[in-house]
Amino acid sequence: MRAARADFWSGLALGGLGVYIIAQAWRWEYLGNDGPGPGFFPLWYGIAMAGLSLALVISSVRSSDGETIDWTGARRAFATWGALAVAVALLKVVGFLISFGALTFFIAGVMYQRRLWVAALAGVLAAAAFYAVFPLALGVKLP
Amino acid sequence: MKRVLGLLSVLALGMALAVPAFSQSFTPTRPVEIVVHTGPGGGADVLARAMAVMIEKEKLLPVRVQVTNKPGGGGATAAAFLAEKKGETHMIGIFTGVWLTNPLTSAEAKVSLKDLTPIARLLLEPAVIAVKADAPYKTLNDFVAAAKQKPGELKQSGGSITSRDNVVRQQLQKVSGARWQFISFPGGGERIAALLGGHVQMMVIEPNEAGEHIRAGNMRVLAQVSDKRLPAFPNVPTLQEAGFNVTPVPQVRGVVAPPGIPRENVAYWEDMLQKLTQTESWKKYVAENQFEPAYQNSAELAKFYDEFTAQMRGILQEAGVKIVR
Amino acid sequence: MDIASGLLQGFAVAAQPVNLLWCFVGVLLGTVVGVMPGLGPPATIAMLLPLTFLMNPASAIIMLAGIYYGAKYGGSTTAILLNVPGESASVATCFDGYQMARRGRAGAALGIAAIASFIAGTVGVIGIMLVAPPLARMALAFSSPEYFALMALGLAMVVLLAGRSMVKALLAMLVGLWLAGIGTDLFSQTSRFTFGRMELLSGIDFVVVAIGVFAIGEVLANMEGREAAKALPVPKGLRNLLPTGQDLKDSRFAFANGSLVGFFIGVLPGAGSTIASFISYGLEKAVSRRPQEFGKGVPEGVAAPEAANNAETGGALIPMLTLGIPGSSTTAVLLAALVLWGFKPGPLFIGENPALFWGLVASMYIGNVMLLVLNMPLVPLFAQVLRTPAYVLYPLIIGIAVVGVYSTSGSLFDVWLVAAFGLLGYLMRKLDYPSAPLILGLVLGGALERALRQSLMMSDGSVSILVSRPVSAVMLSLALLVLLIPVFGKLNRLRLQAIEK
Repeated sequence: MRAARADFWSGLALGGLGVYIIAQAWRWEYLGNDGPGPGFFPLWYGIAMAGLSLALVISSVRSSDGETIDWTGARRAFATWGALAVAVALLKVVGFLISFGALTFFIAGVMYQRRLWVAALAGVLAAAAFYAVFPLALGVKLP
Repeated sequence: MKRVLGLLSVLALGMALAVPAFSQSFTPTRPVEIVVHTGPGGGADVLARAMAVMIEKEKLLPVRVQVTNKPGGGGATAAAFLAEKKGETHMIGIFTGVWLTNPLTSAEAKVSLKDLTPIARLLLEPAVIAVKADAPYKTLNDFVAAAKQKPGELKQSGGSITSRDNVVRQQLQKVSGARWQFISFPGGGERIAALLGGHVQMMVIEPNEAGEHIRAGNMRVLAQVSDKRLPAFPNVPTLQEAGFNVTPVPQVRGVVAPPGIPRENVAYWEDMLQKLTQTESWKKYVAENQFEPAYQNSAELAKFYDEFTAQMRGILQEAGVKIVR
Repeated sequence: MDIASGLLQGFAVAAQPVNLLWCFVGVLLGTVVGVMPGLGPPATIAMLLPLTFLMNPASAIIMLAGIYYGAKYGGSTTAILLNVPGESASVATCFDGYQMARRGRAGAALGIAAIASFIAGTVGVIGIMLVAPPLARMALAFSSPEYFALMALGLAMVVLLAGRSMVKALLAMLVGLWLAGIGTDLFSQTSRFTFGRMELLSGIDFVVVAIGVFAIGEVLANMEGREAAKALPVPKGLRNLLPTGQDLKDSRFAFANGSLVGFFIGVLPGAGSTIASFISYGLEKAVSRRPQEFGKGVPEGVAAPEAANNAETGGALIPMLTLGIPGSSTTAVLLAALVLWGFKPGPLFIGENPALFWGLVASMYIGNVMLLVLNMPLVPLFAQVLRTPAYVLYPLIIGIAVVGVYSTSGSLFDVWLVAAFGLLGYLMRKLDYPSAPLILGLVLGGALERALRQSLMMSDGSVSILVSRPVSAVMLSLALLVLLIPVFGKLNRLRLQAIEK
């Protein structure tokens, strides 16, 4: 993907955020009788955000920059993030040790294609290490 | 005759079953948690830790006490945490004034004292009105009169607009017709710095904090925000004595518990806390920190809560704050 | 009591074996705590409070203070090795520190951090000794307009952190400002951008964003490569295990700059070590002969913020000890501890408790030496952490991040936020948005807005208050100058091009 196209989309997204901020800020008091109200600051940086995003979008459309962004590895990164999200979701259900052990297993085994028994061992050891260090030694609660 | 005997035996059986139920009282069997809404070092946290030390020293509980910090949302996080722990018999929380006012102004703060089990009110925190030592105001009247002459020019530093600092200001303004600015600072340190640096003219401050600055000659106290004079300030008039007909809105601290706990549990906590307030260490603590002892049990606390929130609603609405409940 | 005799008395107190022991315990504990992201000095000190009742107050405050400045040393370790800021003040250390580690110079980075911290810590203690009361009084003159100007100066630094696209840097900063504004507005108690969620009422914790964007973002970025046997090159040879003479020479100015900036900002109640480290970093880059190297791993880029956040420790103790005004969350807990032990911190504290005060000051000298001695030999040891294979190291980083965040607030919501910000950090990397301005906006945004509104309230709406007061006028002019640096640069390049023609 060309860098310019990525800029286009991110600029659009930020522009959307800017507009949202302006809309919210509009509802709040801009200038109270004591001083600037809660809407004052957000309005201004919302406008700045919208304006700059527009500049970014325009420059990305006009740009002849041929630089590309390498998205090939991104699938792996997103997959890892997906695994992380699942692990966080599971925290309430099975607790930190199990979901973290599973995550370690996933990363070691799937992402880095280590042999399954190595990955499993890594998962178990990592979970054990966390258990030893945090709740036992430092008294910090695990999720 | 048989029927009478039968009835008597049923009664006897009933009593035999009931007696154990009544005499079964609550005793904690695992560590008790005190939930506070500030981080370590904050007001409620310091009180909880002091209480934990006193409870262990006076052996008021057969188990350990630990303090759990649940900061955030001006008390909303801690309140919600307690509300979730329905039926939990080994947990109590320290509540302060913000637990009462937050649900009034914040839509997200859904848990009020009504959703929890009130246990006891413990303390009232008085405050004093202070100005810089070299200020031209010798009495509260001087300040208010000066404010009246230049409306909106004099300034007071304080917390948020729902804090007691502003409540005092609203009451005084209403009864005197004067008007002065209120500037919020997030921390007590910054408020004091603003006063000592001459950027604001007046502030409402805890007597303890003021004490040190008065000793050093930096501050002067004009009046006390309490019903009767504090022992440490025998020569300073209360608001009423200074000629301002306002009833100080109390700044309270007390104990709550999660909802849905059995009657015996409530009675146990009430009992323990009442004993605590009668110990020497407690009395010493109260005197050192210049609090006002103000014990109320759970029924009285519930009534106090209703009166207090009604009063606060009125004051805040007049101050122009949006009320959501 | 004059300084010399006070100090002598202080050393007499501090050098007692029991106090030396507690000092050591404190700095050791502090270092460990600093390394753990999320677990910070305030919580640790609070946990140890019951223990301190069994000790005498002098030993207790020596230990607690040891934890305080020890944590600053520890925070830089994870920042350099793992791109995980152990403390909010260590974020600026991540910029160049981690890059040095990537180049195989982790040992040198750790060493520079330790040395900078030592020098700055010592400067801080000297500062307390010499100028405590007068400086505190001067700090009182600092009011909202000056704070606003200071924050503006800090934000102006964004132009120095911009990298290639100024527009993207500014956008990142604006997003940071927005994130800072999420929560309950102090002045009006209006909830802003909370999406109806109670957990957002007090805003988004800086640690959550920093750990998410830096640590998890980095891990995700590294996931792209399939085969990465070792995460980072293990430093080989003495040149990379310890800072070289050249490194120290390059960092001369950074030591001074960081120490002074950190100390003075520390004295201001409400301005913290994060701001100090950013301003010091920006200042160092602005005066450097090789500004374009910053962010790629230059030792002075580590030395400046590290010095700043350690000197700030000393500075922050001044308002606490001379006025009873806490400047940060850690000094607030220390203050609470003093009160619990029956002391009354305030203007008369030093005069009434000279043994305690001077004992504390002396122990801080000793503590700084202890930390240097502790840390330097451990540097090569820490660097070996990098030997851990990637498939273990990255999950560990994620795990530390999650536990660290959870330990600050106990809220699962924050863990979700960390994951979300991790994704954001990754995307920002891919799309070439610099993350430093985001952090800058987040850290300074709240204070900037508050200071502006307070100033306008003080002046009844007149903006002139910001320029009529001398200190704020000077700082705002500096901020303006900083903003114009890129313009000068461009003009200079055009001029050179014209000359060549």
